[in-house]
Amino acid sequence: MSKLWILVFQSTGQTLAMVFFSTFFSLLLGLPLGILLSATSSEEQGGIIPHPVLNNVLGRIVNVLRSFPFIILMILLFPLSRLLIGTSIGTAATIVPLSIAAAPFVARVIETALKEVDPGVVQAARAMGSTNWQIIWKVLIPEALPSLVSGVTLTIINLIGYSAMAGAIGGGGLGDLAIRYGYQRFRGDVMLVAVVIILVLVEIIQVIGNKISARLIAKR
Amino acid sequence: MQITLDNLKRSYGNLHAVNGVSLAIPSNTIYGIIGRSGAGKSTLVRLISLLESPDAGEVYYDDLRVDNLSKAELITRRRRIGMIFQNFNLFSSRNAAENIAYPMEITGMTRSEIDTRVEELLTLVDLEGRGTAPISTLSGGQKQRVAIARALACKPDILFCDEATSALDPQTTHSILALLKEIQKKMALTVVMITHQMEVVRDACEQVAVLNDGMVVEQGYVTEIFSNPQSEVTKDFLSHLVGVDEASSNSDKMVHWSTKKGAYTLRFRGGTTDQPILSRISRDVGAEFNIRAGGVQKVGDVEIGTMVVDISGDEDMQRKAIQALREQGVLVEEENK
Repeated sequence: MSKLWILVFQSTGQTLAMVFFSTFFSLLLGLPLGILLSATSSEEQGGIIPHPVLNNVLGRIVNVLRSFPFIILMILLFPLSRLLIGTSIGTAATIVPLSIAAAPFVARVIETALKEVDPGVVQAARAMGSTNWQIIWKVLIPEALPSLVSGVTLTIINLIGYSAMAGAIGGGGLGDLAIRYGYQRFRGDVMLVAVVIILVLVEIIQVIGNKISARLIAKR
Repeated sequence: MQITLDNLKRSYGNLHAVNGVSLAIPSNTIYGIIGRSGAGKSTLVRLISLLESPDAGEVYYDDLRVDNLSKAELITRRRRIGMIFQNFNLFSSRNAAENIAYPMEITGMTRSEIDTRVEELLTLVDLEGRGTAPISTLSGGQKQRVAIARALACKPDILFCDEATSALDPQTTHSILALLKEIQKKMALTVVMITHQMEVVRDACEQVAVLNDGMVVEQGYVTEIFSNPQSEVTKDFLSHLVGVDEASSNSDKMVHWSTKKGAYTLRFRGGTTDQPILSRISRDVGAEFNIRAGGVQKVGDVEIGTMVVDISGDEDMQRKAIQALREQGVLVEEENK
């Protein structure tokens, strides 16, 4: 019994590591992409450097990546994991496909949040002689911060779900535990514990995200 | 800073939003640009404030052509222009003081310089001590005051007001206009006020241009245009001003004695306001005046009286009466003619 608890403990750690690092890297990839998507959109949609061709191309890439079934994307990205991490199995290797799968989602979330910013405010900033960088960093991002926080919360929750799936093909974590012990060895109790921990994690993230977002709005 | 517009044109597809506007906006004054919605005001202000480039025509600030500036020059130039808007367009992520600080932050002023200037500006717009207030806690008038302070932060030469009072109630409009007039004098600013409210032009502007279908249909001193409007658009604006009591002081009220509208509108300028013109003409010509409505308005320092009357008597008498009125310098407009 105590052995199993150690296993549960380890799996939770692996899930947290996967989620943490893939959130970080998906933001690293998705944030610039989302900013670019919003900035290059048409003027009516609040684009500050409208570029229809670039916007179209980026939009399509993001859509294709988003509609790709995650499990297939993971298999396709095995070579990339091997190149970057040295292996395609294990928690560290899983972070690569998780980050890449979540990046286009992050990009859309960021894009949507930035587009919600009142175009009048952007016009005012431009009229005051702001450069494009200043508009992005000093106006768009601070103005959109509550929505951005909600978006990141949603991303983390999605990644918790994805990471459980990644466990099925050798990523470790709570999903892996649930399948190997709970399903294949008929240990219903292990399955239950793994699922409950995942639910609790999601709930904690959601509550924290909501709190931060609400506090940001309350200060306005 | 004097602004000169030379034959400005800007279209969107088939819509000629601004269709050949030439104007000379003198330095150190409040200049009004009035027009109905769709007249091209918004496009015109975007062109003059360098937010958009014209398809054709030229914009000059003093003697410097500014409609063809490079990107870097444009950013430098915009930092010397103040602009306020109908919806205030304040940053909700910043409090009042931080909003005012923004234009100074982007030009790289030091923190201490910024803080000193923010305090000065808060005092200027009567918001001392409200610096830390979140924008959402301010009233419309206070928001516009913050916006004015923000627009003035970098000591601009020009201030554009794009329907700046349209979202405010009459009292607040009055106080904002008073503030703008005070600031204009203090800073020797050139203020360009875009509006659809004749009250704003009457209360704040020295000169005005009337815009219709993307063209200037009339321009000149406000006192002249109020007493002697030429275009239909201007007359329409004025009739609404007189008819609807939106103004703040009682002297602007048009008093209606009867619900029927009279056949003639008479406008009395300055000196003619306090002479017994009607009774004199009535005696001389024999025609009788039935006054339906009347009022006196102050435009700048000049009083303009408006009366809606019927003239009874035979056609000859009526004609003579109108002629006599005109000789006395009274403007006579006939309804539906």
